[in-house]
Amino acid sequence: MILGVAVLAILILMSIVSGSTTIPLAEVQGAFAIALGFTEGEPTPTSRIITDLRLPRALFSAIIGAGLGIVGVLLQTTTRNDLADPFLFGLSSGAAAGAVFVITVTGDVLGIWTLPLAAFSGGMIASGIVLTLVRALRNSAPEKLILAGLAVSFLFAALTNFLIFSGDSRAAHSVVFWMLGGLGLARWNNIWLVLLGLGLVLLFALRGHRKLDALLTGDVTASSLGVPVGQLRARMFFISALTTAAFVSVAGVIGFIGLMVPHLARGIAGPLHIRLVPAAALCGAMLLTASDILARVLLAPQELPVGIVTTSLGAVFVFALLIGGNRMRR
Amino acid sequence: MKTPVTTATALALMSTGALAQGVTVDNCGETLSFDETPERIVIHDINMTEMAFALGLQDRMVGVTGITGWYKTNETFDAMRGDIPELAERYPTVENLVAVDPDMFFAGWYYGMQPGGEVTPDTLEPFGIQTLVLSESCVHLHDDRPEASMDLLFGDILRLGQIMDVEDRATELVSGWETQLAELEALTAEVEPPRVFLLDGPADAPFTAGRYAIVDAMIEAAGGASVTSDMETSWGRSSWEAVAASNPEFLVLLDYAEGQSAEDTFAYLQEHLVMQFIDAVVNERWVGLAYEELTPGPANIDAIETMARAMHPDLF
Repeated sequence: MILGVAVLAILILMSIVSGSTTIPLAEVQGAFAIALGFTEGEPTPTSRIITDLRLPRALFSAIIGAGLGIVGVLLQTTTRNDLADPFLFGLSSGAAAGAVFVITVTGDVLGIWTLPLAAFSGGMIASGIVLTLVRALRNSAPEKLILAGLAVSFLFAALTNFLIFSGDSRAAHSVVFWMLGGLGLARWNNIWLVLLGLGLVLLFALRGHRKLDALLTGDVTASSLGVPVGQLRARMFFISALTTAAFVSVAGVIGFIGLMVPHLARGIAGPLHIRLVPAAALCGAMLLTASDILARVLLAPQELPVGIVTTSLGAVFVFALLIGGNRMRR
Repeated sequence: MKTPVTTATALALMSTGALAQGVTVDNCGETLSFDETPERIVIHDINMTEMAFALGLQDRMVGVTGITGWYKTNETFDAMRGDIPELAERYPTVENLVAVDPDMFFAGWYYGMQPGGEVTPDTLEPFGIQTLVLSESCVHLHDDRPEASMDLLFGDILRLGQIMDVEDRATELVSGWETQLAELEALTAEVEPPRVFLLDGPADAPFTAGRYAIVDAMIEAAGGASVTSDMETSWGRSSWEAVAASNPEFLVLLDYAEGQSAEDTFAYLQEHLVMQFIDAVVNERWVGLAYEELTPGPANIDAIETMARAMHPDLF
């Protein structure tokens, strides 16, 4: 755990040092000196890049990565499905639909918060539909929930594509940001949103850790232990949706972190949630911070959407999961 | 005795203040104000960079973006650019821009900026960077734009001239262009305008220009009539069916370097199941023009003349 925190700290520092513009280390130190008041002086362009762009960005990647990791744990536990992921529940396509609606139909009527708000609402509407289905399917097998999520996903993806084709075809370019994710909008003035998302999901995951452990034994056993299974499942879904929508509204859809991280964390910390949740948070933070560094240096000075990095890592991970699982069964 | 003097001084100060108050220009229907003339500017894309070159702004350009990632530039452009650095080969990041500490960024929607993307006027503003938005691109965010006219070019040259305090040069340029175009118009006035179709290379669905793109106005200025001028967009996709049904008599083909030349596009049309039968392809009537000639920029004017000569060879 301590090792993990140390690695994360190093990654965050690396993230601050690397970027689409090359800034020498001495100037990075200088920027911190100015920001912390050790050195007198006006902020320079490079010092502003460090303190106003890269520092919030590094923190965003850690916060969002941690949050997505925990959300993944919650969803995999409540659905008892290894492949549950925050974005299999219609959130991503809902958020993208919201963003595209603003870009092609309304324009930014409410200023700079229009797009985040629309993405958030889109994500919540989509997951609202999934939640309703969850309630209706309360007593059926968890796999049905995944199917419901997928159906909603496809519905909103269709809506997004309809909006692109009926409106401004160039909006397709803008949509890439929402579909593939990016941390380019990370600023101090919106960090509260992602912090709130992480705080919320962390609080509920830790408070309910015993009930979540009970769920691992199966619905019937959990019920006999006095855990209100249906209610717990619906509540965890709702919290996960809220958190993910908050993340998507500023960073777009960053795929696969929520899918991979719980598996990594289980390998390190075991299945019990009191240790699993912090481990997932840490793994997620490290993974996304590292991915964002890669996304910025691979094609510098161009930036890759971070989702390309995380999903390619994720795909390889699923291969490994499949092969590993196959061996175990033998 | 003291009071009147102070009042007079104050008045004098106020009036000089008013003179030095800088400029305010229209920016996609909103206003953009500069208290002082920008000293450091960054310009995106080849067409807008050529506007700045036409006004002789090189000494205040601290960077360009989005040029070598897409096009091959010609020697004249490279010579004009001199040692102005390219900050990003395609779209810049906020970081690329902030690093050179500019006062102003000249770009457009889908010309260096994407709605809801990382670089927008709103995300640059906290870093003291004001954004001048290319007029042609306003339509991507604002529906209530007038349809394209050559004012898309003239207006942007004048705005840039005003902001950079080279208004005389800008006015002179524009009136020269207006004279050149008036002469052309006099030549082509009596002719029935041919049906013209603009095509940006081979594709499943043709990418062309609608009523808000400057090309629409250019085709008209050259004495033609665009078959896609009823499309409610600037640049966008039409369909082969619709284009073939309108049977264009003349083609304007975007001429990119390497593998996407106008010749390649024409060869593609000659093979195309439907398009091979339209008048323009049968009679081989087309002209190839470069990207910077078909997007708002000084190269538009000569491009109009090139188009007019190709469209009406017997008039020249």
